[in-house]
Amino acid sequence: MPKVRSRLIVASTLLLLFAGASKAQRSAIDTYAITNARIVTVSGPVIDRGTVVIRNGLIAAAGANVTAPSDARVIDGTGLTVYPGLIDSYTNLALPEAAPSPSPGGGGGGGGFFLIQQQQRPAGGPNSTQPVGLQPEVMVEDVIRPGGAEIESARNIGITAALTSPRSGIWMGQSALINLSGETPQQMIVRSPVAMHVGFTPLRGGGYPGSLLGVFSTLRQMMLDAQRYRDSLEIYERSPRGTRRPETDRSLAALIPVIDGRMPVVMLANSEREISRALDLGAEFKLKLIIAGGREADQVADRLAKQNVPVLLSLNLPRRTTAALPEADPEPLRVLRERVEAQQTAGKLAKAGVRFAFQSGSMTNISDLLGNTRITIENGLQTADAVRAFTIWPAEILGVQNQLGSIEVGKIANLTVTRGDLFDRNGRVTNVFIDGRPVDIRPPAGGGGFGSGRNSLSGTWTVNVSLEGQGDKSITLSLQQEGDRLSGSISGPLGAGEISNASVSMGDVRFTASVNVEGQTKEATFSGRLANNEIRGNVTIVGSSPGTFTATRSGQPN
Amino acid sequence: MKRFIAKLLFIAIVSTIPLNASRAQRPSAPETLIRNATVLTVTHGTLQNTDVLMRNGKIAAIGKNLSAPNARVVDGTGKYVMPGIIDCHSHSMLDTINEGTLAVTSMVRTQDVLNTTDVDLYRELAGGVTTLNLLHGSANPIGGLNTVVKIKYGRPASEFLFPGAMPGIKFALGENVKRSSQPNQPGVTRRYPNTRMGVEEVIRDAFTRARDYKRTWDEYREAAKKDKNLIPPRRDLQLEPLVEILEGKRYVHAHCYIASEILMLINIADEFGFKIKTFQHVLEGYKVAKEIAAHGAGASMFADSWAYKIEAYDAIPYNAAIMTRAGVVVSMNSDSDERARRLNIEAAKAMHWGDLTEEQALKLVTLNPAIQLGIQARVGSIEVGKDADLAIWNGHPFSVYSRVDTTFIDGEVFFDREQDLARRPELAKERAALEQAEPNRPRTQGASPQTPRRRPSKHEDDDVEVEKP
Repeated sequence: MPKVRSRLIVASTLLLLFAGASKAQRSAIDTYAITNARIVTVSGPVIDRGTVVIRNGLIAAAGANVTAPSDARVIDGTGLTVYPGLIDSYTNLALPEAAPSPSPGGGGGGGGFFLIQQQQRPAGGPNSTQPVGLQPEVMVEDVIRPGGAEIESARNIGITAALTSPRSGIWMGQSALINLSGETPQQMIVRSPVAMHVGFTPLRGGGYPGSLLGVFSTLRQMMLDAQRYRDSLEIYERSPRGTRRPETDRSLAALIPVIDGRMPVVMLANSEREISRALDLGAEFKLKLIIAGGREADQVADRLAKQNVPVLLSLNLPRRTTAALPEADPEPLRVLRERVEAQQTAGKLAKAGVRFAFQSGSMTNISDLLGNTRITIENGLQTADAVRAFTIWPAEILGVQNQLGSIEVGKIANLTVTRGDLFDRNGRVTNVFIDGRPVDIRPPAGGGGFGSGRNSLSGTWTVNVSLEGQGDKSITLSLQQEGDRLSGSISGPLGAGEISNASVSMGDVRFTASVNVEGQTKEATFSGRLANNEIRGNVTIVGSSPGTFTATRSGQPN
Repeated sequence: MKRFIAKLLFIAIVSTIPLNASRAQRPSAPETLIRNATVLTVTHGTLQNTDVLMRNGKIAAIGKNLSAPNARVVDGTGKYVMPGIIDCHSHSMLDTINEGTLAVTSMVRTQDVLNTTDVDLYRELAGGVTTLNLLHGSANPIGGLNTVVKIKYGRPASEFLFPGAMPGIKFALGENVKRSSQPNQPGVTRRYPNTRMGVEEVIRDAFTRARDYKRTWDEYREAAKKDKNLIPPRRDLQLEPLVEILEGKRYVHAHCYIASEILMLINIADEFGFKIKTFQHVLEGYKVAKEIAAHGAGASMFADSWAYKIEAYDAIPYNAAIMTRAGVVVSMNSDSDERARRLNIEAAKAMHWGDLTEEQALKLVTLNPAIQLGIQARVGSIEVGKDADLAIWNGHPFSVYSRVDTTFIDGEVFFDREQDLARRPELAKERAALEQAEPNRPRTQGASPQTPRRRPSKHEDDDVEVEKP
């Protein structure tokens, strides 16, 4: 079997070579070969030592007996492992104005996004019949932008493609699957729309629905309205003469593929009851349902398997965020259990035969993603399944299995190359290919593997803040780093207080703090980069002109 | 000896087979025989030294010296057996109680927001409660749809639903609806209605629309027989339940306090030809007991919560007794996760304040609420053929010193005091282990955890909107 396969691959490579040669003007830089690497194809057995050939954005060949074409740029893969490019199955990447990430512990795709919602209302669909939040016609395709720090951070840990969905709403709108490179939105999109997205957060500001009760009724009523709209259009098409013309309605029109079961619906649901409710609603309207979040999905595994509902499982694993305080209430047993059991969900779903894919789920630090995957492996998930949950499973669930998710000839050349195992503590992403092109990645701040560089920022820093028109100010920043999490406080002429939304990812440091500028308390966002024991970057203050800062160490952690 | 061991093994294996098999498909409840207890049947008096046999989830036999060789036997000597208490006004296990943005929210359904893990349910089981009428809050003249549940704590939500219970809806009148306790805010338009007159208008308007809606559909169905190209009218989830009320298919549970608004609602109901099934709270009901009885409505109330708000100033503790004597079906409800644990005492108060008989008082929390929810054929008394929903008390349930030993629903144990106590060391051990687990360890830095504080609870008339975590 391997022989037949490799022969086939050789044949197809040759074919492609000839085909390529005829297009004379194509630049040679389109062709790459990673040689002598271990290849985790996902679709077939692992190739211990082989070559992957990339040409014209696609995988041209992969196998033990493949030789690098003469025009290929050769990357010596000795000691490296090539995986299909990782797919993050639920993100808000490439959407404008990324808000500071909410604190972790809320878990999954669900909770986190809702916090953002109040700050950032998407622009409403033009001429919509519905208020913002109830506009299924909204498409991320229309608003995504290439580039940005978040996309870079994701690529640095080997994410090559992502489902990106609207940030908020009840009918949130329609998502797209994008490659995390490209200079235009058009180049990024692999598939759009992928799915309709539903969140269960009530509208704020006094309008209906203002509670979870009303959210369900609104979803129901709009789906009933869409059914009637569809039927009315059919009747009108049949006999426009003599029938009163149905009013056009973009919102209801967008729901027709949903109620017809043609477009999947992703519902944000984490707890057992949230998932059960979503399953009930899905069954009531015969929807093609996908659950996103899924923290307690293992508790409804039977129903998920039976109704064939896949889960986009968040790796934003909950953990205690508070310090010890002797006089505090003991945490409820339920909460203690939830945090521990969330680590086992992936393994249990795999055993129960529930289809799932991993997602980062509004994680503070995207660099936790692989470390948290390791935790799920330590808690019962097979490593091979963990790889699938980042590759072929999301591809299948999101309908791009012919384009992405495995190392097979003809698929899009998204590849993640590592030294060491992908989920190993000492593993490291060395190369990332997206659409057949290598992308620059930056190694983690401390050198070493994922999650290393522990405590590297802890200590006291002297920060020189230079604000336009206000001269320089020197403040003291005290930082505490635990893994990739960051906390601490500032003090000095700009005021004193805790920092929030703090993160460090691959050397990118980011935090916000309340500062006193021109007699007013304002929110300042610091984002900088760690290099040579110095953090340099920009300060953005709401309502003020921006500035820069440089932080140098003034003390080690005590 | 060897043969003996083999035999033992064989028996052991054989006897585990059916057990495992039945566990897989959730067996019907095990057979249980309560021996030699005092049985408060509610409908057939108090029976001394009596046995109660539960089989297949039903009460199979009541009598002396019953024989049931396969049954688990519970010694009831010195104990009391009482039907499971039915709480006709509860907001337990609801993730959210009010959809307060509109004055008419008949499209919302409490069934959509059930939380089967609410610990209050377990506490209610420990108070001998087995059935709840889960109502929408009282923010709107016409609120959301109710859900009647058996407290099958630990089971999926679908198993909670009381089979065959009449669908219901919450109405509300008075202070909560007109938002009189909420201050005016500059720049914010108050939601209509703001007066009791407005409340009446909102309800009349809604039923007028419901009547038109029904007519539109009736006309469409008639016309669609001839014309296949007719576009059907819009389905309106707000009006459909109101049509059901007009057709007598849905019970109205109306939150109210003062006599005038009670008469107002009776008049609207008469005008549109429907019935109010229960007046809830109804603290001035004694003033119009005759009219309520004539309408055929029930009353579900507090025993003694007088004067806690303006509407409640005229409340008297004799309300239940006066209305019972006027021929109204009366029940005592909790409207509170805390009070729900001691509804037995709420019923007992009616003996103290109004000289009801013991049986009349028992009915206030058993058969009468069952009637008010249309489930009296299945629960509310201890009779052969009814659901085995009952509790064993260690003393007479009307004594403040009594407590529940075991609560059964459909013949299955959902609370057992001994089991609960026995599990505690095990839970303490689990907690200790969990607290050591990595995700549960306190951070060296981070926000302070919550320090002890008063547990928020919902007030008796569900005005306060406390959402449970």
